[in-house]
Amino acid sequence: MADLVLQNLTIKYGAVTAVDNLNIHVASGEFLTLLGPSGCGKSTSLFAVAGLNHATSGTIRVGERVLFDGNPSNTVPPERRNIGLVFQSYALWPHKTVAENLAFPLTLRKIGRAERDERIKEALGLVEMLPYADRYPFELSGGQQQRVALARALVYRPPLLLLDEPLSNLDAKLRERARVWLRELQERLNVTTIYVTHDQAEALAVSDRIAVMSMGRMRQLGTPREIYERPADSFVADFIGSSNFFDGTMLENGTDKARIRLADGSEIVTPPGAAARDGSVVVAIRPEKIELSSSAGQNTMRVSIDQRTYLGSVWQYAVRSGSIEFRIQTPVELKEDSVLVHIPQEHCAVFPDKPGAN
Amino acid sequence: MTDISHPGAAGRGIDRSQAIYWGVAALTTILVFGPITPIIFQAFLDKPLYDDSAVVTIGNFTRLFSEPGMAGVFFNTLYFGALTMIVAQVFGAVMAVLVGRTNLPGRKWLGEIFIWPLFVSNLVIAFGWFTMYGPSGFITLAAKTYLGGAPWNLYTVTGMGIVAGLSQAPLTYLMCLAAVTKADPLLEDAARSTGAGPFRALFSVTIPMIRPAIIYSAVLNFVVGIEMLAIPLLFGGPSGIQTVTTFLYNAGINAAVRPEYGIVGAAAVILLLVVAFLVWLQGFLMKGAGRFVTVRGKASRPSTLDLGAWRWPAFLFVFAFAFLTIISIFGGIFMRSAVSFLTPLIPFWKVLTTANFEHVLGSANYVRSIVNSVLVATIGAAIGTFFILVIALVARRSDFRHNRALEYIALFPRSLPGIIAGLGFFYAVIWLPGADVIRGTILVLILAFMIRYIPVGFGAIAPALAQVGEELDRGARISGADWWTTVTRIIVPILKPALFSCYALLFIHFFKEYVTAAFLYQPGSEIIGTTMLQLVAQGDNGPVSALATIQVVITAAFVILARRVMGAKIYG
Repeated sequence: MADLVLQNLTIKYGAVTAVDNLNIHVASGEFLTLLGPSGCGKSTSLFAVAGLNHATSGTIRVGERVLFDGNPSNTVPPERRNIGLVFQSYALWPHKTVAENLAFPLTLRKIGRAERDERIKEALGLVEMLPYADRYPFELSGGQQQRVALARALVYRPPLLLLDEPLSNLDAKLRERARVWLRELQERLNVTTIYVTHDQAEALAVSDRIAVMSMGRMRQLGTPREIYERPADSFVADFIGSSNFFDGTMLENGTDKARIRLADGSEIVTPPGAAARDGSVVVAIRPEKIELSSSAGQNTMRVSIDQRTYLGSVWQYAVRSGSIEFRIQTPVELKEDSVLVHIPQEHCAVFPDKPGAN
Repeated sequence: MTDISHPGAAGRGIDRSQAIYWGVAALTTILVFGPITPIIFQAFLDKPLYDDSAVVTIGNFTRLFSEPGMAGVFFNTLYFGALTMIVAQVFGAVMAVLVGRTNLPGRKWLGEIFIWPLFVSNLVIAFGWFTMYGPSGFITLAAKTYLGGAPWNLYTVTGMGIVAGLSQAPLTYLMCLAAVTKADPLLEDAARSTGAGPFRALFSVTIPMIRPAIIYSAVLNFVVGIEMLAIPLLFGGPSGIQTVTTFLYNAGINAAVRPEYGIVGAAAVILLLVVAFLVWLQGFLMKGAGRFVTVRGKASRPSTLDLGAWRWPAFLFVFAFAFLTIISIFGGIFMRSAVSFLTPLIPFWKVLTTANFEHVLGSANYVRSIVNSVLVATIGAAIGTFFILVIALVARRSDFRHNRALEYIALFPRSLPGIIAGLGFFYAVIWLPGADVIRGTILVLILAFMIRYIPVGFGAIAPALAQVGEELDRGARISGADWWTTVTRIIVPILKPALFSCYALLFIHFFKEYVTAAFLYQPGSEIIGTTMLQLVAQGDNGPVSALATIQVVITAAFVILARRVMGAKIYG
């Protein structure tokens, strides 16, 4: 297995910069997810690694092998990169059976018949599709096609596996099972994996690390826990899970805490953070982190309940305090018109601007 | 797991693909511009192309325009083209709406009949019109005898234009039919739900949506009219009416006796410019046609408009059109081939004879022209399909730097009238060193036909290619296949049905072609079309109709075979 290094990777289409100066080092055997909304450049980056997109500048290296260094004559064509790739649409060749789909890359590598059959068997066994070897792709369900596509990408034992939203065409239940299974298989084979998705729950569930991307830029690179609990900016806080954003003014920014005046005149204490030049800030807090309180105190405010929504596992309430509107989530059913809520200092994050402004 | 770091296909990958890209691009460029270049040179030289003492001049153009009657020739051509277009558009579009969107009785078999003329050449159709509606034609005589007069005269530019228009209506019909039947009936339903009556919905929603098809086929029919040889030759010849094509044909054929290289070149260049402009205009008018695109992936239920009491009058109208302009034309050819003298005044069975067929089949030259036609169509269509396939793959499915330019060049023959392609090849084989070896062989016919019909074949392959998702290529590339392996092992097998359709279309076009061959054939390489041209000139109508019948029968057999056995899609 090998590590993957992207250095200053930039991809431009005319005047449009699809990927801007991407730097990622994926360790050998690591499962890294590129996560972001559509159009953020995640698939573009993935296909550049595969050689199916032309990068503009930067370096792509797998192990010791440089695949791209900005010089067109050194660019390795996709067929010589020896990378496994699973497409969103699976891209199984419709005129070939499952076994023939797997045989094609092996034939191209001039692998003898006996070994070829052995490897096809092994790969189909891995994805539990051995009984379907002689079927044609159209005779398989979506989930089965997805497994065959994975087997085809693994059958020639590439050091690097790229997955482009491979689960997005499956229904919700199957998708949850498939991602667990996929992660187990990846750990077993210890193959370095880049996974592209726009589904944050999926990314949190399967990844060793996540690179959150937006508009061609990487916004944060970290473990799922770091990304969720310590978002680097308001975009990440908004995109991963969901957050309330309070407008405020920085009153005091210390080394371990900050004091902020909110739009309704109240003051709260938060961890320290950066303010905009004019002293304005936004405070992010996730709805499920806001607690009900029985007594007034620091970071506590009285809110009136505008709307109640039953979400199954929790209740969500749209609440307001003066001009501030936000959401809270709690398993408790509230009958009152107004309640006291506490905003825990340690779960707040302070950013200089709102998501979308940066 | 162990790493296989050196895939087998590696090494020659890039070079092989690049060699194919550049090879195809070079070959296409040479074949497309090869025949045009000598014509342009000739237009600006005062002596024949091969004469080393020739000097550059614009005298050919000044001579051409000062030639008496030349203005009339250009006027005839434009008037004939415009009339062809108008007649074809009116009848074709009306038939398409009636057959495609209403509950007209017999719409299925009427629709089948409407596409017959597309399978045979203008020459056969023109001859059929001559046989039935000519001055001593079967229907003309019948009308004079039983109705007291036949008010038509085909031997005028207007008569010729109407005949050409009626015989081109099936082309408009075909294109509008596709648009009419693919138009989403939901849009019509939406109009109905907002309060429009069924006819109002048809006229306000559906008819405007076939506007692109009407515009597209209008320009196409104008071009067909301008470059048509058969009808002006058959009907204009006797009364001395000339169009640019008959001028080029006569001047070119008689070049040996009266050398007019320069004038021919100049007239050809003007025709080429006019047609190129029209093709450009067509593309320009089609810009923004996207707002009319209603074709969606979902198969929608075909909706029909109830004509009510108008069903039978409409049927009579459509049937009269089919009978008078198609059935009677084919019928006339068949009848003429089986009798010694065709007239409504003598009962048919009294003049029955097999002499026409005996005459044709007893002559080595005529038999050879039939064999050559079959060979050109069979072999030529195979070579053409392969060549066009590779062009389409490089133009649409490769990272070739100049793929757009290649497609542009490959589609340029749309602007190349058959008579100019023929003339150009004629010059080119004389002019290009070494090209003389193929002069007068069927190989030069195959090459010329292939160039002329690249756009036809491309039109059959490109849409099917667009249906094959690009991930399939990408999947193959990432699996270790270079470009050529990817297209041959993955794309081509999936394209098989489209390749059959392309082959069938090329076969039909090659088999019916005559204009392009007019300058290129020599004794030994004659084809049915050129032999018919010769016989028509001699007034040998019996053998002409026998040859035409043989051509129609072979075409029909091929069409049935291609549809049944190969599953080819030919005109719907």
